[in-house]
Amino acid sequence: MNEIFGHLATGFSVALTPLNLLIAAIGAFIGTIVGVLPGLGPINGVAILMPLAFAMQLPPESSLILLAAVYIGCEYGGRISSILINVPGEASAIMTALDGYPMARQGKAGVALSISAWSSFVGSAVATVGIAIAAPLLARWALAFGPAEYFALMVFAFCCLAGLMGEQPVKALLAAAVGLALSTVGIDENSGIYRYTFDSLHLSDGIQFVVVVIGLFSVSEMLLLLEQSVTGTAAVKPTGRTLFNLREMAQTWWGTVRGSLIGFVVGVLPGAGATVASAMAYSTEKRLVEQSDPEGAHFGKGDIRGLASPEAANNASATGSFVPMLTLGVPGSGTTAVMMGVLALYNITPGPALFDQRPEIVWGLIASLFIGNFMLLAMNIPMVGLFARMLSVPTWALVPFIVTVSAIGVYSVHATTFDLVMMVALGVVGYLLRKMSVPMAPLILGLVLGNMMEQNLRRALSITNGDTAILWESPVSIGLWACAAAVLVVPVTLRALARRRGGAAVSSAPSA
Amino acid sequence: MTGSRVVLNDRLLGTAALAFAAVMAWQGYGLEAPFAYEPVGPRAFPMLLSLIIGLCGLWLAVKGGNPVEPAAPGVKGRVFAVAAALAVYAFLFQWLGVVFATFLMSLPVGRAFGGSWFKSGAAGLVLGVAVFLLFDKVLDVVLPTGLLGGLL
Repeated sequence: MNEIFGHLATGFSVALTPLNLLIAAIGAFIGTIVGVLPGLGPINGVAILMPLAFAMQLPPESSLILLAAVYIGCEYGGRISSILINVPGEASAIMTALDGYPMARQGKAGVALSISAWSSFVGSAVATVGIAIAAPLLARWALAFGPAEYFALMVFAFCCLAGLMGEQPVKALLAAAVGLALSTVGIDENSGIYRYTFDSLHLSDGIQFVVVVIGLFSVSEMLLLLEQSVTGTAAVKPTGRTLFNLREMAQTWWGTVRGSLIGFVVGVLPGAGATVASAMAYSTEKRLVEQSDPEGAHFGKGDIRGLASPEAANNASATGSFVPMLTLGVPGSGTTAVMMGVLALYNITPGPALFDQRPEIVWGLIASLFIGNFMLLAMNIPMVGLFARMLSVPTWALVPFIVTVSAIGVYSVHATTFDLVMMVALGVVGYLLRKMSVPMAPLILGLVLGNMMEQNLRRALSITNGDTAILWESPVSIGLWACAAAVLVVPVTLRALARRRGGAAVSSAPSA
Repeated sequence: MTGSRVVLNDRLLGTAALAFAAVMAWQGYGLEAPFAYEPVGPRAFPMLLSLIIGLCGLWLAVKGGNPVEPAAPGVKGRVFAVAAALAVYAFLFQWLGVVFATFLMSLPVGRAFGGSWFKSGAAGLVLGVAVFLLFDKVLDVVLPTGLLGGLL
């Protein structure tokens, strides 16, 4: 315990420097706005800002603090558009709309906004404490991982994503494999030969991560936006009390705590993200409340308990997803996968060794999650009107802005036209893939993990001179393979069982 | 991406995946290290991936189904227009400079999103200048000046 406080002291000394405090505040502000705007989620926000932070020559810990503040800010912001216009600002805020929008229609928008800001805060705070306790332990344990264990761990991460996210796991697998395939472009580290470069100089050091992420997420999002004409959705005016009272706080307290814990656990699992977490929290809360209080429960019609719990869960999960990224080097969500790409720009590989080698990065980030969370709470209750006004920015001005900032982000890395053209081409491909409901998060995870996965596989097989038995020899790797099989098989079996019983059981999470 | 009669569905996706896997296998088959000092060379991993992609593609192509709902009338045209405008933007970005290229891009894109010519153009002009000043002058992200090279 004392050790953790010592580390936290290091962390706060990094996070409390004027530059980093300013950066966290700016990040929290931008993040909330990005979260409010429908169609722009944390991945887009982080992807667009990532190259800019690098081009501005921020030190690595400051870049990470900026992007982490944006990420958590998005989870705060997503709730505002869910509550006021019934259009989730991002996928993980879908559950928030179920009871938040009815509350707003009943003239309780102010209460809905403030209680959800509060439960977001509790969720993030619980998860940050969770990180501070769990991360060092997990990192110490992971130090003993060999290449075979790492390979199994990455397979597990992909299985989590495919099993938990999709109605169509084959498409998730396809996306992951395509991401891994893209990572093989460029010089092979071990043999020095060129792979899939088609004699192009631009491809010799691989496909630029920034280009892929901005193309697949940001550009394709603009094309998708053309299809949904959200013109003239009237926002509900925040009326009534602007702050929740103690009775409402007490009523939602345990739901918020439950949501936070569910969110943290789901967030820590590699692959599963905030969308899954908030859906789980909502259905848990609904079941519990409808059992204990069948008279008072009115879920889906503006029950404050149905608002608080998923909102706590999605923030806790976003925060918790830093754990696998920091300790194992295997991201827990699409957004943390993008952040790993940031660290790669700085030649930093996250993983257990990072805790010893660069404690200022790890603990600076954890400390700034605490600080950023306070800033977000402080911003989100009084300034909610300002953020809500963002909803009235017309798309004809917003879209060119996003396109321009995306292009600047891509251009700032290598200053080539090739990258810009590649960005647009990938945007069109991403648009078509998303139309055919191919999930993009596994693709990004594949691209980020590809090199590590191949290296670990080759290293493991070098040890035994090609005998694949080493991949499932140690108890840890056997356990990981078993978990991987379980996350693939269990959801499918449960779904089949539920269908046979004919009951409309817990609805599965909507895919992001 | 071809004609407007092509329906996006799992069969098309599967076929595309099979083609991707085939190209990957064909281009990757010759990948061999001149000096092999490890049991698994640079070819194995890409081959494994092309096998996985191929199997996924086969599954999707055989099973078919999941047709994508046709977009509302007019949407397809706007998607093509915006995609084309972005491609042109990508080519002109460095040559014309941020300010001009952004202005030109904002016209069709703003129009596609329901702005008038005047509003889109005005937004593009303000945007181009503001973004250039913010990133190039304030935040030290070097941007191409293009035609305005002498002025800026």
